[in-house]
Amino acid sequence: MENVVEMRNVNKTFKGFALKDFSLSVKKGFVTGFIGGNGVGKSTIIKLIMNLLQPDSGEISLFGLNYKNHEKEIKQRIGFVFDNNVLYENITLAEMKKIIKPAYKNWDDTLFHQYINLFELPMKKQIKTFSKGMMMKASLTFALSHHAELIIMDEPTSGLDPIFRRELLDILHDIMQDSEKTIFFSTHITTDLDRIADYITFIHNGQHIFTKEHYKIEEDYAIVKGETNLLDRDTEREFIGIRRSNHGFEALTTNKQRTQNIFGDTVILEKPTLEDIMLYTKKGTDHYATSHS
Amino acid sequence: MQIIISNTSKDPIYEQIYVQIKKHILTNELQAGEALPSMRQLAKDLDISVITTKRAYEELEKNGFIYSIVGKGSFVSEQSNEMIRERKMKVIEEQLLSAIENSKEIGVELAELQELLTLLYKEET
Amino acid sequence: MLHLIRKDIVLQKYTLLILLPVLFIDLFLDGSRIYVGILFSIAIIMQSFATDEKSSVHFLLNSLPYTRKEIVSSKYVGACVFISLVLLTIFIGNLVIHKEFVPWEQLLFIASIVAVFISLAFPFSYLFKSQYLMIASIVLFVLYFIIVAKFIPDLNDWIRGAVQTLLSLDDTLLYGGAIFSVILLYFCSYMLSVRIYSRKVF
Repeated sequence: MENVVEMRNVNKTFKGFALKDFSLSVKKGFVTGFIGGNGVGKSTIIKLIMNLLQPDSGEISLFGLNYKNHEKEIKQRIGFVFDNNVLYENITLAEMKKIIKPAYKNWDDTLFHQYINLFELPMKKQIKTFSKGMMMKASLTFALSHHAELIIMDEPTSGLDPIFRRELLDILHDIMQDSEKTIFFSTHITTDLDRIADYITFIHNGQHIFTKEHYKIEEDYAIVKGETNLLDRDTEREFIGIRRSNHGFEALTTNKQRTQNIFGDTVILEKPTLEDIMLYTKKGTDHYATSHS
Repeated sequence: MQIIISNTSKDPIYEQIYVQIKKHILTNELQAGEALPSMRQLAKDLDISVITTKRAYEELEKNGFIYSIVGKGSFVSEQSNEMIRERKMKVIEEQLLSAIENSKEIGVELAELQELLTLLYKEET
Repeated sequence: MLHLIRKDIVLQKYTLLILLPVLFIDLFLDGSRIYVGILFSIAIIMQSFATDEKSSVHFLLNSLPYTRKEIVSSKYVGACVFISLVLLTIFIGNLVIHKEFVPWEQLLFIASIVAVFISLAFPFSYLFKSQYLMIASIVLFVLYFIIVAKFIPDLNDWIRGAVQTLLSLDDTLLYGGAIFSVILLYFCSYMLSVRIYSRKVF
């Protein structure tokens, strides 16, 4: 399958944060949900993909092209939404359109006005008077009005009410009717991903823990519950992030089948949520998380 | 075509879709040659990811219920009655096996089980 | 890149709509053309620069299909456009109000001073932030006016005299050299800004 985004062995070091030998690919024609806690490097990776940051070393290519020689061509084909407002605030949407429209060869005025009507956005009001939801809708309108092949969104649903979050997912479903389109977005709200994400990319502390088909996660991972006396030095190695209490233990396994073979009926296996996986991975050491995935 | 998805079910969503479309095919509600909705359309309608419907369609294709033509979509395969019967018989066999297993666990005799089966069979019709 | 310059004009249209008529009025009141010309040019250009300085704007512009080089270039070319607008206003204003042509040396002098200022201010602002520059400039201007008013009442005259002497020098070679130096400085400043901006993290 074709990859739209390809990051190979990327290194980037900041004060107090490092991305080491990071590789990632985003599949064409699908929605990839990008999850991980705060400050684990999600925004850095999105910035690297958008060429807002340059890697210290390693390769990044989009649509099979690199930024060095094809920067404008690549950006023509990307629609972007950031978690904070990046539109000029002291002007109206009509004026903002005048600024953004000429930048894109494939700008579609009809499509733009369709979204403006759908979102009920005022064209003649200053953008600074917009609510957070309206700003987000305005950004989304600009991202969707030039027939972008790749839509990158950083936390698009944060701070939005549940009703609009649903509407947004419907719009994304509509976009995905075209198998040439790809969506890559980061989020904290993992329940949004159940409705739309084909692949889940999970990172922790600058490390790529996994990219899996969404349904594959519940095939591989499971929450294990059992009595504490089942745990010893050997069996503990089967888990990441064990939580003990006086009444038993709860842990996450990355190999459901193996756990079932080892423990049989002595433990209960449950479907994990993405939040469970994030939580236990954070609890467990990074060593376990990577060596078992 | 009706498909009802349960998010709280133990079964994965692609399996729920698989089972229900299979049922529609076996009951002739979906007829041979009939087009299925596109994977992407079905994903949108059910508010689930494309890869889930893709997986369900792949399973259906693997088991001979549907076939796909690139650029045209997926269609219900020709089902011979014999094939369907054979497949159904296999399912019945499996279900009976598990009934027998359960019976043995609690010491239910064959005669008693037969009696129960007869009773249930008559009740259903 | 032309789109980026047009964007700056769209964004600064209120500034222009206010400042250019004020400039006109000032000409009517017979103020010093050179001073206000320089001051207004710098004010408009730096205002335009400051508008784009928020990190959110860097995100926007760099995510649109522009390269960093184009973003910097647009500021340097845009500055020339704004200077031309101010000079044009002065020229037409004078023609209408005083029925006289402004000597081209004066226009050139204004443009040169502004260009020198920009050459220093832009790289500084790309490296740090124009806010510091604005604060520094405002402090300098205030200090300057206090000094002129309180201590050296004839400083203005002295500078005016010096400028007059310079402008009356009828030496094409001197002018040529000066123009060349200014253009060279402007170009070096542009190269420096491109280097700084392409490495900037926002």
